[in-house]
Amino acid sequence: MTAFPDTQAHIGQAHRRQNALRHIAGRGRFVTDIVLPRMVHAAFVRSPLAHGRIVGLDVEAALRAPGIIKVFTAAELNPTCTPWTGTLDHFARMTSIAQNILADDVVLWAGQPVVMVIARSRAEAEDACELVVLDIEDDEPVVDGALALQADAVIAAPGLSSNLCYGTVLETAGVDRAFAEAAHVVEAEFVFGRHTAVTLEPRAIIADFDASTGQLTVHQGTQTPYQFQDVYARHFGLNEGQVRVIAPDVGGSFGMKLHVYHEEMGAVAASKLLGRPVRFVADRLEAFLSDIHARDHKVTARMAVASDGRITAMEVDDLTQVGAFSSYPRTSAVEGNQVIRLMGGPYAMPDYRGRLSVVFQNKVQTSQYRAVGHPIACAVTEVLVDRAAEALELDPFDMRARNVVADNAYPHVSATGYQFEKLSHEACLTRLREIMDYDSLRAEQAALRKQGIHRGIGIAPFVEITNPGAAFYGVGGARISAQDGAIVKLTPAGDVQCMISVTEQGQGTETIIAQVVADQLGVAPDRVKVITGDTDTTPSGGATWACRGAGIGGETALRAGRKLRDQILALAGQILQADPGGLALSGGNVIDAVTGAPRMALAEIGRIATYRPDTLPRGSDNSLTAVHHFAPGGYPFDFTNGVQASYVEVDVETGLVKLLKHWVVEDCGRIINPLLVDEQIRGGVVQGLGAAFFEECLYDDAGQLTNGSLADYLVPMAGEMPDIEIAHVETPTLDTILGAKGVGEAGTAAAGAAAMNAVNDALRPFAARISQTPMTPVRILQALGHI
Amino acid sequence: MELEGSEILEVSPEQVWRALFDRAVLERSIPGCETLEQTSATEFSAVVKLKVGPVSARFKGDVELSDIEPLTACTLSGKGSGGIAGFAKGSARVTLVSQGDKTVLTYRVDAAVGGKLAALGSRLIKSTAQKLAGEFFTNFKAVLLAEGGAEVGQTHQDIGAGERAGSAL
Repeated sequence: MTAFPDTQAHIGQAHRRQNALRHIAGRGRFVTDIVLPRMVHAAFVRSPLAHGRIVGLDVEAALRAPGIIKVFTAAELNPTCTPWTGTLDHFARMTSIAQNILADDVVLWAGQPVVMVIARSRAEAEDACELVVLDIEDDEPVVDGALALQADAVIAAPGLSSNLCYGTVLETAGVDRAFAEAAHVVEAEFVFGRHTAVTLEPRAIIADFDASTGQLTVHQGTQTPYQFQDVYARHFGLNEGQVRVIAPDVGGSFGMKLHVYHEEMGAVAASKLLGRPVRFVADRLEAFLSDIHARDHKVTARMAVASDGRITAMEVDDLTQVGAFSSYPRTSAVEGNQVIRLMGGPYAMPDYRGRLSVVFQNKVQTSQYRAVGHPIACAVTEVLVDRAAEALELDPFDMRARNVVADNAYPHVSATGYQFEKLSHEACLTRLREIMDYDSLRAEQAALRKQGIHRGIGIAPFVEITNPGAAFYGVGGARISAQDGAIVKLTPAGDVQCMISVTEQGQGTETIIAQVVADQLGVAPDRVKVITGDTDTTPSGGATWACRGAGIGGETALRAGRKLRDQILALAGQILQADPGGLALSGGNVIDAVTGAPRMALAEIGRIATYRPDTLPRGSDNSLTAVHHFAPGGYPFDFTNGVQASYVEVDVETGLVKLLKHWVVEDCGRIINPLLVDEQIRGGVVQGLGAAFFEECLYDDAGQLTNGSLADYLVPMAGEMPDIEIAHVETPTLDTILGAKGVGEAGTAAAGAAAMNAVNDALRPFAARISQTPMTPVRILQALGHI
Repeated sequence: MELEGSEILEVSPEQVWRALFDRAVLERSIPGCETLEQTSATEFSAVVKLKVGPVSARFKGDVELSDIEPLTACTLSGKGSGGIAGFAKGSARVTLVSQGDKTVLTYRVDAAVGGKLAALGSRLIKSTAQKLAGEFFTNFKAVLLAEGGAEVGQTHQDIGAGERAGSAL
């Protein structure tokens, strides 16, 4: 990097999202904005019951409704594709029933699609849905995961021998001895409610099959176009090269838009059968009923500590409650698997036992959502650390300082088997203490308590999994790309374009890729056009999930950019009759690497290579396009770390919590764009606080979702959110040249844990404790014994 | 969902009892009732148009009278399907107690809803149900009074049905 003067380095600088102006100007182009000739619209008749057998289905009246093109039942639609089963080979004995588009014979959750109606307009399709007569004989639904494992439990889906989807135990040899010898053992039971993504843009798809060419084009609001290219090709018997998936602007995704859904498969199937573009856009109720839900855990946990404050062991039992089947293709077991493996992550705790039971029930599928498993593991661990500190009469900061893996003790392997390259817990704790002015805050808390004002301070260190290789899915047999690819080209006029497989859902991926490429080629980022989200124009890759856009996508762009840089310099060397090693790129020019003097403009290179290649020496390579694929090597994951703190005020009369302030100290390695990193952290914190205080999908005893609208389902609002102050420690990974790790999930990982500790800290004078999310006013009043 | 209530009706238990089994009276009393057909001595099928919060739907359902104690009590149980709006099912135990020349009618309802009604209307279900119960009795009283008590059950067939239902026990 010495060839580039520091003043021209764009990596590390704050740049606004390139696409923000376009969105502000109302020029966003989402799937819903796309209108294709002969396009038809889909609506679904859904099961009103959580569990039952279809005994009657009459679609005759719907067929005669105005504007109706077609009414599909399972018998006609399902045979167009092969069923899908959400299991992974590396999860031993994991089981799930196979899925197909429409319910046939049995219904497994309230909201499951039974009939697909295709009409000229969505309104006409919905009207026709009302004319379908669906008669279902109801069976008892499985609604509680703990009861679901009892011997006499109703089975959630036919073909299962029990409601256990996946179970595993992770343990070290010394765990029992650690508990036997502990000075204190603290324990708690936790409930983490179901919630969902609530993206601004709901799921949306237009499937367009052209029978004359056999070409399927799918416009889909997704974060993983290549995964869907593979899914549609395999399950609909098409050649992969004939399937094009385009993700235009996507209005939020958070993991929710990378799972296979019945409705999207239905749109593809219907388009194949009808030879017309078929559009499905979920309305808000459909989103609540059919988008994946997240979390839904019951956890019992205990922690052993020595008299000097050392955490010696944890024992955890996690019950992850999923739907009636496991999601495809990533499964619904990864969340729980990460819960039990992330426990105690920041600490030098030597012993551990984690037991996981993933359990089926008759509700919509749960699966990966932002910060998969992290908030659960973090909350369980940190609540127990606070209780241990209380038992030992240690300050929460002191307790953590005694237990985090020392900054000079890396590499380190956790008791659960995770490998950490280099983390910075000590530096982060020190920084947090400074920025929150911890001692003053404690003094303020004590003073206010005397006035009957109950404030609480909670802290929560965390680790976060980023930059995953094939360890997540590839090794389990899933066709989910563990690498990414980029094409970088210099246009004849000297501009740069980068086609890359990582995708944009509003987080600014395209902007950071432009910054990275710009620095390799010595141009300004606004001269780099980044193109994403189209399987026909960009190389194949994993796209966006598990915090990989910056770390893996950025490295891919960097290496592709350097390849092109070398090509340009070689060509320039031939034109200038100079040693390419003595040349560099800067300010849109080829420069003398030593003096910095401009030698020729990039535009001139482009002109000669494109229009006058005849003037180049014989045999010279005039290629101004470079392609590179990058698969992460080294550590299985590049873990990040950080610590969050929450300051709250609890009204002990009403149970209402006021969020006063939130702090995050984060180490995501090399920071490419501090503005976007902070935006990612803030957004993540807000989603973490949403789950901690507001968001919950409520079900009744019959398995009916009872709050499927934004009138009843609470999302965090700006007015309720605290100021979020952020600081950074930078420990670049040595796995890559760029050194960047992911940051998209860090905020969500620990915000809820810090908040739960803060609320419990506020409740401490009342000897009241809460360990259930969301921490609603009712639950806080129950903890206080008021109701 | 459970719902309880009682109403004082200015007629005798015999008149109330007859009215409860009278198709015409019920049709005029049930809020939003479009059609009500008697399919047997103790069974009716109905089409009722209802609006719960943002969901409006035409429910088709069957109601059956059981556990009949003539002039004293009976249970109405039913299930209605509102198509994509979802379903409602439940039962109501109705008890009559004579109080001079009046009758105290007590009801206890246990009902459940599903589908869109549950997802969108749950917060409104109980208040809507209470409102519908109120409307039912307002209508029921009006019919009873308008027809002067004795007039109720003019349809001989319906009286017969009620008597048959009663005498069957």
